[in-house]
Amino acid sequence: MANEQRFWDDVQQGQDIAPLAFPLTVYRLVMAAGANRDFNAIHHNPEVARASGASDIYANTLLLQGMWERAARGFIGLAGVIRRQSGFRMRSFSVPGETVVVKGRVQRKWRDGDLGFVELAMWSENRSGVSVGPGSIVATLPLRRRL
Amino acid sequence: MPEGDDWAAGWQRLQQEVGREFDERPVTFSADRVEAGAIRRYLEPLEFDCPLHYDRDVAIAHGYAHIVVPTSALPTFAMAPMWRPGEVLFGSDDRDAQPTSTPITGILTGLEPATSGYFATNYDVEYFDSAVVGDRLARHGAKLVACEPKETKVGRGAFLTWQSQIVNERLDVVARLQTTFFRYKPR
Repeated sequence: MANEQRFWDDVQQGQDIAPLAFPLTVYRLVMAAGANRDFNAIHHNPEVARASGASDIYANTLLLQGMWERAARGFIGLAGVIRRQSGFRMRSFSVPGETVVVKGRVQRKWRDGDLGFVELAMWSENRSGVSVGPGSIVATLPLRRRL
Repeated sequence: MPEGDDWAAGWQRLQQEVGREFDERPVTFSADRVEAGAIRRYLEPLEFDCPLHYDRDVAIAHGYAHIVVPTSALPTFAMAPMWRPGEVLFGSDDRDAQPTSTPITGILTGLEPATSGYFATNYDVEYFDSAVVGDRLARHGAKLVACEPKETKVGRGAFLTWQSQIVNERLDVVARLQTTFFRYKPR
C-alpha cells in the first residue's frame, strides 16, 4: 500500500476510493479457509456446496470482509483507525472463475473533538452485480492541525 | 420442519425467544495467543500489504503495542480450536464426511427445526479497541436479535441474527458484533 498518509482535512465527500479486484480461484478460496479458519465445506468442497444449493464453492464472509478492510485501509492509511462496519450483507455467492471488485466512496465526513471521521460507502461487485453490501466503514483519519 | 405452507411455523419457538441471551458459559478464551505468523498467513489470500499487520516497528510507530490483528480477522483469532487433545474428529473415510465437531457451525439452541445448510450473510461490527500479537481473545455472548423465516433460492429456512462480543484477557470489549446466519433446508 502507498506510504503517503491521507489526512482528514483533504478528504472530499463523494471521493471514490481505489477499486480493488480479487480474482477468485479454488486455490485462493482454500488458502482463505486455512488462513481465516472457516472450514465450512461449502467454501472448499464443490460437491457439498452444490448439495447446499450453490453453484460452486464460494468465498466466505471473513474473506469478503477482508477485501473491504484492505480497500478501506488503502484509503485511510496506516494512521487511520477502523471504528465500525455496517451493512455488510452477502447478496450472492462469489465463486471461482469470477472476479470480485471492491468499490467505495466517501459518504460523509465530520469532526468530533480532535477526531476526524469519514464514512465510506462500501460494496463488492461480481458478474451478478452488487454481491456484498452496500454497507459502510466508519474510520478516523489524522488531522493536519488540531484546532 | 413442517412442510407445505406451514414450514415457517417450525421457527416460531425460536422467534418467541428473540431478545434472549443463550450463552451462559463463562468467558472461554481461544486456545492460542495471537501469533504474528497466523496474522501473516491471514494476509496471504487477501494480498493485504499493510505493515501494521506484519511489521512490529511500524505498528509501534503508530501507537500500537505490537503487530495488529486486522479488524476482519478478529473472529478468526477468537475462534475455539478445531480439535482438542483426546477428541476424535475424523471417524469416517467417507469422502465428504464432516468432522464430529467444529466451532464454525454458528449457534444452535435446540429450538430451531432441523436444517442441514447454513452460511453467514451479514456482519455489523463496532470496534472499540485493537488486538495485537500476544493478546488472547474470547468471543462471548449469543443474544438472539432476530429470527426471520424466509424462502430463498437455496432453500427454506431463517435468517438468525446474533449479538456477541470479542473481549481480551482484561475483559475489555474489543468488538461488538451482530452476525446473521441463514440456516436452511436445501432444495
